[in-house]
Amino acid sequence: MSSLSGAETKLRGGRAGPAIGVMTRLSRRLGKGIIYVFLITMAFVELMPMMWLFSTSLRLPKASFDLPPDFFPTSFRWQNYQAVFTSERINYPLFFLNSLRIAVVVTVGQLFTCSMAAFAYARMRFRGNGTIFFLFLASMMIPGTAVVLPYFIIVKFLGLTDTHWALILPGLTSAFGVFLLRQHFMALPADLMDAAKIDGASFFKIYWSILLPTVAPGLASLGIFTFLASWNEYYAASLFLRSWDKYTLPLALTLLAGYMGTGSIAEILASVFLSILPVLAVFLLAQNFVIESMSRSGMKG
Amino acid sequence: MEREASASLLQRTRTSKFRESLAGYLMQSPALLVLTAFVLIPMAAAIFLAFTKYNLFDPPKWNGIANFQHLFSDKRLWRTYENTVLIALGSVVGNNVLGLLLAMGVNRAMSRTFKYFLRAALFFPVLTTAASLAMVWRYIFATDRGAMNWVLGQLGIGRIAWLTSSEWALFSVIMYQVWRSLGVTMVVYLAGLQGIPQELYEAAKIDGAGSRQLTRHITLPLITPSAFFNVVMGFIAGFQIFEGSYVLTGGGPGDASRTIAVYLYELAFRRFEMGYGATVSVTLLVLLMLLTVLQFWIGNRWVYYE
Repeated sequence: MSSLSGAETKLRGGRAGPAIGVMTRLSRRLGKGIIYVFLITMAFVELMPMMWLFSTSLRLPKASFDLPPDFFPTSFRWQNYQAVFTSERINYPLFFLNSLRIAVVVTVGQLFTCSMAAFAYARMRFRGNGTIFFLFLASMMIPGTAVVLPYFIIVKFLGLTDTHWALILPGLTSAFGVFLLRQHFMALPADLMDAAKIDGASFFKIYWSILLPTVAPGLASLGIFTFLASWNEYYAASLFLRSWDKYTLPLALTLLAGYMGTGSIAEILASVFLSILPVLAVFLLAQNFVIESMSRSGMKG
Repeated sequence: MEREASASLLQRTRTSKFRESLAGYLMQSPALLVLTAFVLIPMAAAIFLAFTKYNLFDPPKWNGIANFQHLFSDKRLWRTYENTVLIALGSVVGNNVLGLLLAMGVNRAMSRTFKYFLRAALFFPVLTTAASLAMVWRYIFATDRGAMNWVLGQLGIGRIAWLTSSEWALFSVIMYQVWRSLGVTMVVYLAGLQGIPQELYEAAKIDGAGSRQLTRHITLPLITPSAFFNVVMGFIAGFQIFEGSYVLTGGGPGDASRTIAVYLYELAFRRFEMGYGATVSVTLLVLLMLLTVLQFWIGNRWVYYE
């Protein structure tokens, strides 16, 4: 795109007189300047709350609400971060592990169930597979908010209230995951599977050792989405978790916000910032996977 | 001899077909089981409960269509639906206008590093917990010592009660929602832009098309599938906004920024009106399905498929 617009300028400058060439170049540069200002402003707006969060987490608590607001650190009190791990109020390692355990189980489970079902719908012929897949597709339209009420009753009935299972079980599969991975399986060449079939390999073996490795990018993006969603989940956690030692990070942090007036705001913000770090690391490492998978689901959805 | 061979071949295909069916059923069963237990059965249960009176402690009592009749006189329901529609509409419009502009800008950005930085910066809020970031926005929106009012003050604009006045609370929730989900919208558009074949632009340029014509006749038509995806998903998410209202404004002042998800939460889990709550969720279910079907129907007219 960028090299093309350069070529275009040359082309036009060549055709029109030099005076017009200067004018177009000038207005083009102006246009580019406006685009850059817009992009940088929006990037700043999107990052600003995070910058405030980070720099305030390093200040003296009483300087938290200083005006004008500082978006860059004015001091570096790393003690605030140390306090997160020693504080009585925030048992940070415990909440972190709770969140991590749930997110890992949900992610692994979802990758497994979704990829098996997606393989079956994409690559195997059996009665009703089209209908059942359609059921999955249609269920993507069901808003979670609309089924949360009976789901609450089911969890209560199973005696799973105030356990992590209440958050894990429904996350063990997702219609979106089945749909996404089916797209990936469909894109594979048919001979890959036929050759293995002739060799007499079982379907599970074909799925597990031949096709699954080739859809690794799809698995990676679904894994990232699932992990993010589970790590940040708040609604169900606030609904089901009662005892504080079972709290996940989002729940614990929001409840702590109630202390914002009384407790040390810097400490709370430090723990919020720490809770972002793992997902930030995952994202920076896998930015391209996320984008690629978005394009797949976005174009064919 | 020949007949025998073909019979055994038939036999073999039959057993292999049976094996394939069995394996297929087994492999889909974990996913289907979870879907049935936690989506399909709850949905059926919600429809059943919608006709009952149920407080979670005593067994549900059949209530006929009384709950549905109550919908019409429930002023709070209408108010929260109105808010929800405005918030969904506002965030879908804001997200898509800004998201498309940003994607076009990022796609054009000169250096790879700058592009990478922009993409990461814009996507960053998506990664964070909605609930804890709403907390940070509560500070930004604060009337007296908030960052937003300070910036406006520098521009000579008086203080605005972003979260505590009924004129602004809804708008603040929309701003927060756009801020939070802009990254996803932008990334979908960016992927769409990168999927447009470069040859199209080159061919059009040889025919003498200017950059405005390229945008109008190539970029915009070819980006419509991404736009469609963004709009459909945006409405589905927009109708279910919870944290943005619950944590940021608490739904207030009064009901000024309460969304249907928050109202439903309070009906079911604060007041334990499970029966009527189910009725409200059925309305949401039907409404969203109708809206999505409608969008697919209208989509056929404006979305360009190759």
